[in-house]
Amino acid sequence: MEERDNFYLTKEGLEELKKEYETLKALRSSKIKGEAPSILESEDLNPDYITFQEDLNFLETRIAELEYVLEKAQIIKKPLKTHKNEIDLGATVSVVVDGQKDQFTIVGTFEANPMLGRISNESPVGKALIGHTTGDSVTVSSPIKSIYVIKKINYS
Amino acid sequence: MDIGGFRLMNNLVDFFHEIGKLKGKPRRGWVINDIKNPESIAEHTFRAAVMAWVLGDKKKNLNIEKVLKMALMHDLCEVYAGDTTPYDSILPRSKKKRAELMKTWPRFSNAERRRLAKEKHKRENKALEQLIKNLPIGLKKEMKSLWLDYENGLSAEGRFFRQMDRIENFLQSMEYWQKYKKPPQGPWWAWARELFDDPLLLDIIGEMDKKFHKDKKPRI
Repeated sequence: MEERDNFYLTKEGLEELKKEYETLKALRSSKIKGEAPSILESEDLNPDYITFQEDLNFLETRIAELEYVLEKAQIIKKPLKTHKNEIDLGATVSVVVDGQKDQFTIVGTFEANPMLGRISNESPVGKALIGHTTGDSVTVSSPIKSIYVIKKINYS
Repeated sequence: MDIGGFRLMNNLVDFFHEIGKLKGKPRRGWVINDIKNPESIAEHTFRAAVMAWVLGDKKKNLNIEKVLKMALMHDLCEVYAGDTTPYDSILPRSKKKRAELMKTWPRFSNAERRRLAKEKHKRENKALEQLIKNLPIGLKKEMKSLWLDYENGLSAEGRFFRQMDRIENFLQSMEYWQKYKKPPQGPWWAWARELFDDPLLLDIIGEMDKKFHKDKKPRI
């Protein structure tokens, strides 16, 4: 497991991980007792959990991973009123990049997934945008430059 | 050999035969960029696995056996699901318009991103189930878990290889650019600067940039 001092998580991300942790623990307990887990009948169950339930090794590894992350979790707090127009972790940013509109949220590495609109604060673009405010144009170069024009910053 | 043993061997041979088809399947990203004799999915897998081994070894506390297994199986579902690119849903028929589109990184609304990702996951999950359905139960479970781990970044190994896989892709794009002056490199850099955050992989990208753009820097 990667060693880190902390994992920055959004409030929603932390809630989801806690829910997954409790679900997987319940699945493990049922599996060890040899019972059919009642949680599998729940309608809002992530279908991937059914696969985890079938593979005890994987279940154990994921539970250990979640324990580690939850122990080191640092929730991303909303900024002070005076800093609300400044990009930081947790900000949802509307931009125009090289003439195209886009919107993404700056998150910690654990929740990052640019294909779903979540960009890591440790990525080159995440790092470049942090600290900037609405109206700024941020150039990210080497070797081909892209210009991010910041249109709106929102903290939900 | 008893009937059960014979059936197992038969199923394994069927599985090996099916995955062998990846040797002849060109990667779609290169096809839509009109790259001559593009690499196959199996060729991508080969180098991604070697890179994952070598670079994964430099990371602390990674289970290299798990990373390697993940690398070897991460695209197996493409035997039936095919290869997809971010351009697929907006790809024009005209070659000229397509070449223009390749100069930009496609950006979608978050709702559209979620829809595309969900569809891809569903299609690939179904294809993987089909491919591994007659494998021994332990192997089947392991392959499915590894794929879910890679897809969702559920472990340190899954998160590492999810980025590592894309590094191989990026390297191949630079090699083609050096040889054919395509695909356009702008979209690749726009994508890379939002995607990668692993410090080791960012260093590797820096070295790749130096090697391939030493004499001539791409303008688009």
